[in-house]
Amino acid sequence: MLDSLVPLLSGTISFVFAFFVLKRYVERKGTYLLIWGIGTIFYGIGGLCEAYYGFKGWNPLVFRLWYLFGAILVAAWLGQGTVFLLAKSKWAYITLGILVLASLYGAFKIFTATLDPTQMPAAIHNASELSGHAITSPGVRILTPFFNMYGTLTLVGGAAYSAFLFWRKRVLLHRTIGNILIAVGAMLPAFGGFFSRLQIPGMLYIGEFLGILLLFMGFLRSTTPMKNEVIETAPLPVN
Amino acid sequence: MTEQEQKKSASRRRYPQVYEKLIPIALALIGIVIIALVLITMGVALGLWARPI
Repeated sequence: MLDSLVPLLSGTISFVFAFFVLKRYVERKGTYLLIWGIGTIFYGIGGLCEAYYGFKGWNPLVFRLWYLFGAILVAAWLGQGTVFLLAKSKWAYITLGILVLASLYGAFKIFTATLDPTQMPAAIHNASELSGHAITSPGVRILTPFFNMYGTLTLVGGAAYSAFLFWRKRVLLHRTIGNILIAVGAMLPAFGGFFSRLQIPGMLYIGEFLGILLLFMGFLRSTTPMKNEVIETAPLPVN
Repeated sequence: MTEQEQKKSASRRRYPQVYEKLIPIALALIGIVIIALVLITMGVALGLWARPI
């Protein structure tokens, strides 16, 4: 049940999160919000595919959708939103173009890959957790580290950098805290995947669940100012 | 330093105490983990460790 309900919860939270992000995009504009919205929808699709597998079992289409959106694209697209927030517009659009092309290439590779679900053995995963081991075609699984490294560096790095800037100037405490939550939340699925590879069952889904929870909390914190955020200390006497 | 600059540097903005202590620690830990994740991911990509998901 854990392998069905936890990802179902992750998927549901992701879609609620996407609603909040896209609502803010409609109200305030900002391409970064639109791309974050797309990223959170990808997160949700990944979660629902995992839940489907937990409830209903193997389905090649669901597996391909999970691998494309949940394992390859989600981190990179969330990170791309941060690139739009922090980088110059020219670079943001250039990297977006590369990401779109790379995403299409990834989709082509995944939807033409040969699958063998028996390659997801209980020895590696706990038999009810999806794993890329089911892909037997070469040149597919090797794509994930590149997408995920880009996503991690931009999303975690961007959030940490923003938090550092606010902290250094001692302004907007809610955004400092929010960005720290986003940075930690973005790292948790990566940790989950790492522990999953160490054959600790359930860690991938738990990492994803805690990750989206912290990302959502970070977003809400960043967009909700707090009372008494900054204490102005008295100026020293100047002679 | 001009009088204006002295005034500016003397006036310090601070977060509440608990955040003043926790935020630098959190940022330092995040920095360390980012570096570790990049190294691990590169290792996975190069085939030094377990295959990617």
